[in-house]
Amino acid sequence: MSISNNSTIPIYIQIAEWIENEILANRIQDDGKVFSQYQLAEMFNINPATAGKGLTILLENGILYKKRGLGMFVQEGAKELILAKRRDEKLSKLAKEIVQEAKRLFVSDEELLDLIKKVQKEE
Amino acid sequence: MTDIVCNQVEKKFRNKKALNKLSCSIEGEKIIGLIGRNGAGKSTWLKLLAGHLKPTDGEIHIFGENPFNNLKIATNLILIEDSMTFPPFFNLGELFDMASDFYPDWQGDLAIRLLEYANIPLKSFHHNLSKGQVSTFNLIYGLAARCAITLLDEPMNGMDEGIRTDMYRAILKEYIAYPRTMIISSHHLPEIEHLLEEILLIDDGEVVLHVPLEDVNQMLVRLKGDVNEIKEITDYQDVLFEKQDAVSYEAIIERNKINTNYQNQTNVQMQPVSASEVCKLLTHKQKGGIDDVFKS
Repeated sequence: MSISNNSTIPIYIQIAEWIENEILANRIQDDGKVFSQYQLAEMFNINPATAGKGLTILLENGILYKKRGLGMFVQEGAKELILAKRRDEKLSKLAKEIVQEAKRLFVSDEELLDLIKKVQKEE
Repeated sequence: MTDIVCNQVEKKFRNKKALNKLSCSIEGEKIIGLIGRNGAGKSTWLKLLAGHLKPTDGEIHIFGENPFNNLKIATNLILIEDSMTFPPFFNLGELFDMASDFYPDWQGDLAIRLLEYANIPLKSFHHNLSKGQVSTFNLIYGLAARCAITLLDEPMNGMDEGIRTDMYRAILKEYIAYPRTMIISSHHLPEIEHLLEEILLIDDGEVVLHVPLEDVNQMLVRLKGDVNEIKEITDYQDVLFEKQDAVSYEAIIERNKINTNYQNQTNVQMQPVSASEVCKLLTHKQKGGIDDVFKS
């Protein structure tokens, strides 16, 4: 993949997401070593500080952990954490869109809930 | 330790002020983008840092010393610019040899390999090179010198697309290999954005902004939609930019000026504003655009 300059997503977030994808695809296992900020800078042609910020986010979210002098590693259960987080984000975004559209179409709250329940049953 | 400190630096050429009480400090090994419109004072400031010019007023300290007429600073700082001159009697290879006597960390092999890669013969003379080749040679010279402070004034001037991309990559690789303070001036921010850690925006000889790149991307927000709703959201404050056409209204404002108490459901769209647009807006005097000039 390539990191896009034109994208509205900041580069360091794109880096964090790329590492998450690597973990989800099993290319980096639990307790596996993650690329250093300098390796990432080389790979994606970006400033090492920007790459470092991407790693810091994952560290703060508990997806990576740090071993002093050795680098960063994947926390056990990181995959589940990433999946849960992405479900949250994606689903709440979709929910917001549904509510907005319902409002535009003058659909009442009850009607909307009924509709969701109906769809659930059909699945 | 702070590497570069400028305190109320002023530079006048005859009666024209090029720098106006410019203050800033730069610490640590970072790549900094020096951004500004034509005539903002970028090149003058870099020349002052390099000790090529003497300030009219104010103080400059580099590693705690005044850079003007200072040999210690001269061996630890290099300024690469279009108007660099070299003795005309020596070919490029000989210029490299001389550089190794002056710069303690000179990377001779790297300089030769980069020059070969750029297809510039070692035996050629500086004054016979094309415009793009001059820039390429100068930049290679600047990187190979491995000075703790490396100042690059519009380093890619005249280079073709291919070598430009390669040279940006060379800057990054050299920086990773040997981190140093690099200040790169450009009026085309999108081209260097990926390399930068900080942005220093200059306008009318003053520092307008000196912040991490990510902060610039978050600084402003573009609002699109109904004009009355947007006026409510912005609390009727001054906006940096506004545009009204037949169907919609658009305004750009600082993110922190947005009225967060505005609770009504709104159809106003919020969009990010790119770093390069931010720099343009912050250094632009008029609220309208070029279109307004043509309105009669």
